[in-house]
Amino acid sequence: MKSRGSVTGPLVLILVGVVFLVHAITPDFRLADLLAHYWPYALIIWGAIALVEVVIRFLGNGPIPKNGVSGGGWALVIFIAIIGSSAFEFQRPDNWIRQIGFQSGMEAFGQEHEYPVQNIAKTVSAEPVIIIEDFRGDAKIIGAEGSNFSLTGQKVIRSFDAKDADKANSQTPVEVVTQGNTVTIRCHQDRIDSRSSVTTNLDISVPKGSRIEASGSHGTIDVSAIGGDVQFAGGNSSDIKLEDIGGSVKLETQGADSIRCDNVKGAVELHGRGSDVDLENIAGQVTIGGNFTGTVSLRALAKPVHLESMRTQLDARQVPGYFRLERGSVDAKNLIGPLKLTAHSTDITLDGFTEALDLDVDRGDVELRPEHSAMGRIAVHTHSGDIDLAVPSAAHFALSANTENGDIDNQFGDGLKESSEGRGAKLEGSVGSGPDVNLVTQHGSITVKKSSGDV
Amino acid sequence: MNSRVALFAQAIRGPVLLITVGILFAIHQAGVLPFYRTWPLLLIVVGVMKLIERLYVPQSPQGGPKL
Repeated sequence: MKSRGSVTGPLVLILVGVVFLVHAITPDFRLADLLAHYWPYALIIWGAIALVEVVIRFLGNGPIPKNGVSGGGWALVIFIAIIGSSAFEFQRPDNWIRQIGFQSGMEAFGQEHEYPVQNIAKTVSAEPVIIIEDFRGDAKIIGAEGSNFSLTGQKVIRSFDAKDADKANSQTPVEVVTQGNTVTIRCHQDRIDSRSSVTTNLDISVPKGSRIEASGSHGTIDVSAIGGDVQFAGGNSSDIKLEDIGGSVKLETQGADSIRCDNVKGAVELHGRGSDVDLENIAGQVTIGGNFTGTVSLRALAKPVHLESMRTQLDARQVPGYFRLERGSVDAKNLIGPLKLTAHSTDITLDGFTEALDLDVDRGDVELRPEHSAMGRIAVHTHSGDIDLAVPSAAHFALSANTENGDIDNQFGDGLKESSEGRGAKLEGSVGSGPDVNLVTQHGSITVKKSSGDV
Repeated sequence: MNSRVALFAQAIRGPVLLITVGILFAIHQAGVLPFYRTWPLLLIVVGVMKLIERLYVPQSPQGGPKL
């Protein structure tokens, strides 16, 4: 109404002001996260304020506005809803925007010119340190018997005219410098002054006992049959492929499209950001930390593994079978515990695991099949999701299952006592004397049954 | 008096709708029920509000607020 405007607008304005003020004063206050999570409540509060205002005017015989929320108000609501829900989607680490990635604009323009790289062959020691300084392109490194080093390759230069390309070629020679036991390969791609981009592709053969330290981007790194340690620090869009490595592997990536390690004798350490990770036949410890948005697949790991990626955390003593983390699901078979697994919005299937299990999920269904009748302690907690436990029929355990909102389906049979409590249910009881099995869900049903075909 | 109630009913339609939208999105983000499965509730709320308004509209054709 014209005479006395609505108080809702000013109140909303004050609220927004306070939120931004708090954000400005305390840097720890994470405004974006807050907005992403709580914008629906802002709408509710706004609606409540407008409602109270109309009610007060109605009761107080004041003028009633034609609309509780004006047309402009609705526009703002739609704006908030779009921003809020896209912020909510965006702050989930596996969203589509981050998967597209932004390539440097240069790639798309100009013409490609190819130049050969002069062959370089040297005799080095049997166990040299090979260093490849920050380069852009593919590198294929193969270990061979003896103490020979050889390098071949080719350069792809993208530029608008051939003269620029020639100049860029002469500015970026590939150099191999030997200093004591260290062989350094330099591509000098940062030397070009024209608007060209140089991609150097290298084919390198090194002694089997070499140790590799490389850093690069925009290409495939393929290392195989190397007896020493391998270190790689990668920039954008790199694919990393390591096979038959005798030492340990340390990778740091800014945005690797794929990382694959097969048959590594030492430890594997992986940090940074990337997409798919695939580790197989690793004899040493495995440590993964960072954000890997694709599929993380672990197979045949002989030593303890610690994984932290995409708000999922795993600790296991051994993975003789496999562990597969995908967007929204974890699927694992044949793990050796003690196991600790924490995840968000993820359905979890664990088929065959031994020893103790600690499992915490905020949202997701859980399906568990302990392997042997000699089970370990199991503690499962999910905020919203169903829990399905299939225990070996000969197992001994003390069960305590609890759902606050949902049913319990006892297919295990005698020995377990079911009781309902409000909207939830409980299932308790002991079979022989065994470890504690605790299953808790706030919203969801719990099924306990005997696993079939177990020994 | 009745037309005043009708005006009131019309005025609270916006806020009630806003609160409903807020609740549905809160439920969506909590992961309980996605918004694409709950949005018809908005139609129901609008319908109910309109019905209430109509109940209180004065019978003469020109008197009441336009719906």
